[in-house]
Amino acid sequence: MTTSTQVPQQGVTGAMHRDQAMRLLPWMVGVLAVLGALALQSQLFLGQQRTVAAIFMFVSLAQAWNLIGGFTGYACFGQVVFFGIGGYFTAIAISHWHLSFWVSLLLSGVVAALFATLIGLPLLRLKGHYFAIATLGVAEGMREVVTNLPDLTGGGAGITIPTVGPDATTAYLGNEGFYVLFLALAALSVLVGGLVARSKFGYALRAIHQDEDAAAAVGINTTRMKVLAFALSGFITGLVGATYAFQQVTIFPQRLFDVNITVLMVIMVVIGGSGTVLGPLLGAVTLQFLSEFLRQNFTDLHIFILGAIIIVAVILLPQGAVNYVREARRTGEFSLLANVRKYRL
Amino acid sequence: MSAFLQATVYGLLQGGLLALVAVGFSLVWGVMNVVNLAHGAFVILGAYIGWGMHQEFGLDPFLGMFVSAAVLFALGYVTQRLLINLVVNGPIFITLLLTFGLELVMVQGMNLAFSADFRSIETSYAGESLALGSVRVPVGRLLAFALAVAITFLLVALVTRTRTGMSIMATGMDRGAARLMGIRARHVYALTFGIATALAGMAGAMIGTVGTFSPAAAGSFTLMSFVVAVLGGLGNMYGALAGGLVIGLVQAWGGQYLPGTWVNALAFLVLIIVLVVRPTGLVGKAFYAARLEV
Amino acid sequence: MSTVPVLETRGLGRSFGGLRAVSDVSFSVPEGQVLGVIGPNGSGKSTFINLVTGHIKPTQGRVLIDGRDLTAARPWVIAHARVARTFQIVKPFRGMSVRENVAVGILYGPQGTNVMAHALKAADEVLEEVGIAGLGDRPPGELSVADARRLELAKALALRPRLLLLDEVMAGLRHTEIEPSLELIRSLKARGITVIVVEHVMKAILAVSDRVLVLHQGQVLTSGDPREVLADPRVIEAYLGHRYAKRRETDS
Repeated sequence: MTTSTQVPQQGVTGAMHRDQAMRLLPWMVGVLAVLGALALQSQLFLGQQRTVAAIFMFVSLAQAWNLIGGFTGYACFGQVVFFGIGGYFTAIAISHWHLSFWVSLLLSGVVAALFATLIGLPLLRLKGHYFAIATLGVAEGMREVVTNLPDLTGGGAGITIPTVGPDATTAYLGNEGFYVLFLALAALSVLVGGLVARSKFGYALRAIHQDEDAAAAVGINTTRMKVLAFALSGFITGLVGATYAFQQVTIFPQRLFDVNITVLMVIMVVIGGSGTVLGPLLGAVTLQFLSEFLRQNFTDLHIFILGAIIIVAVILLPQGAVNYVREARRTGEFSLLANVRKYRL
Repeated sequence: MSAFLQATVYGLLQGGLLALVAVGFSLVWGVMNVVNLAHGAFVILGAYIGWGMHQEFGLDPFLGMFVSAAVLFALGYVTQRLLINLVVNGPIFITLLLTFGLELVMVQGMNLAFSADFRSIETSYAGESLALGSVRVPVGRLLAFALAVAITFLLVALVTRTRTGMSIMATGMDRGAARLMGIRARHVYALTFGIATALAGMAGAMIGTVGTFSPAAAGSFTLMSFVVAVLGGLGNMYGALAGGLVIGLVQAWGGQYLPGTWVNALAFLVLIIVLVVRPTGLVGKAFYAARLEV
Repeated sequence: MSTVPVLETRGLGRSFGGLRAVSDVSFSVPEGQVLGVIGPNGSGKSTFINLVTGHIKPTQGRVLIDGRDLTAARPWVIAHARVARTFQIVKPFRGMSVRENVAVGILYGPQGTNVMAHALKAADEVLEEVGIAGLGDRPPGELSVADARRLELAKALALRPRLLLLDEVMAGLRHTEIEPSLELIRSLKARGITVIVVEHVMKAILAVSDRVLVLHQGQVLTSGDPREVLADPRVIEAYLGHRYAKRRETDS
């Protein structure tokens, strides 16, 4: 083996290795981030762990919404219905049917996914505002239904999951346990998001988003793909709701089906950059941090300021931070004013 | 039987008022494809202005509502011109988020300015009732109903018979063509939004006389406007009137005969069914269905 | 070569409220033929394509593809039956590269590849066939009209169709761009693909069609040899109006 024949071969293999490394990079960063978060836990007080767990919770919710709203382009404004269904199913399963939390958790996800399939079949035929409003109607309606079935759900007075004593089926996880569980759900949601983004399925969803007629014309079963995305999104959201319910111990319909939760997730995805994997992650972390910071330092005004920030962010960065950066790097056009001009009348 | 009649009368009276609350929302959605999540906040703001006029100057709320209308028209015009116009060409959830942010700002603003207490505007005559057979018809509600219906008819006349109204309709149907005809779309949009918020404000002032209000009620008015607008067909003002009456009746009968708050769930079910089966509404035609945007 | 026509319609019709956009259209296309479909604006040509490809449901009649009744089948079922179409106003996937646009059809079409890399490579081959091989990495928004049409065709060819419906692919092309497009259609025919060309540009219709079908007000006016059809006074009257046809009569 002479040097002259070795060098070109190394060059080609070198390029291949670099490509493979580039593809693996996000996964490696992800693993590091999870390990980092676990390491962080030992440095935080219990109260702080609860706060950070909330960030993880919103990361999952944002990633899940992104599947149907970001990739597929069907902006669901009733997403909280899956959160609530997951939470209430777990509460009922533990309290009334004496199932363990872990079994209830899994079943909650499945029930939420089934519900998503059920409503997805008629509603995913609607476009734009109509889909948004119809799903909002479902969420609001479900809240009313849960409120009016007090024997099953405790109605407006809420339902309490037994966590101590003979009725408790699973030991309460505590702040530390929930930190890890919410982290696991966040990691799962980012993993699912990443897998979907790079897969054949992701191409179908994006095709549907970018031109549904053309997608159907090239052989994509748009109904099946949309319902699948919706069900997957519902599944993850259901898991999160179930975990939240167990954490809160006592839950109320007003909270578990609160439209503000949906809007928060949507804002996080949109500001971060919808249709990307990094966007919802960044958006969730940033907004939740911001919200906590404002709540602690400007208690009276924090919602007011949050609203103002949302208005400004939506005007200046309608496509979200990640998409803005990618486009700007591609076209060399960094001006925010030019950005505003894109969507203005 | 008389309970049924009473509920029916109540439902119709309330329905007329709901129609006025929703008609502006429907107009904005139909003409500009903007869903204003802050609509309920404008209604409540109108109520506060009416209440304020009554507290400070003893102004009868049925006159104070004109002050509400003026103030809210200006506010709405500026909001559309300076804020919403900036995102109108983007994907729909951008406008939804913008108006949501606006709602947060307005509702919290009102909470800070007026506190979250329930208020109402007490007038001497509003509590009195006329008697129609066995049915009680409260004067305040009757007046509100009559005015609401009259204003809706006036709105239709404005939109169909004046130049301004024509420019609004034209811009709603085909913005590009309208602009080519010399219509200033930015101004027309702002005008439309201003009219919508003015109507919301008037409805708010009247609501202040027939019940209590607080900033927290904003959301439910927005949601209710959705249902009425969808039922009546987007941009269809007579449809909003019909939709309002239907919802008023559903609420009244539901409240009378259904336990708990099932009536609310029913209203949402109606919304979903209408959207899936007949998105153009019970009354509406596919007026703005084919939209060309330039 | 089988004797079953690739496409057959029987009494196909669609009404929108009171308007009969297409009514009672019956004809068949044997394998390997190039059928030109012409008709004045509003004659129902685009609706007709949408009815065959499942984008609109017929209110009457039947659509048979290779003898199979696929009336009112959803567009993806039609695609899997090896029937592809282009859209009159091109519909690229704006957020994907040109190559990815074509790859989607290879992934989800009758071939059903599951490996992205294979699909992307096969996409490049299709881009080569239509003549835009070098544009694979570009976003569709940057393409010229002629290239955008080629992309549209490439997306259809990704399905490796037996039947291809072209919806006014020549519209708005410059003279110099029309001949290469005609060449492309001829090469498709040479590969055994049955093509239905819906067109306004008469020179193109004459140049490539084996047979011509004329639609007028949603119905079949006549069909047959291209030259005969285009000289048919009824066709001239449909396009140019009754008075012009009368004048032509009195002139000749």
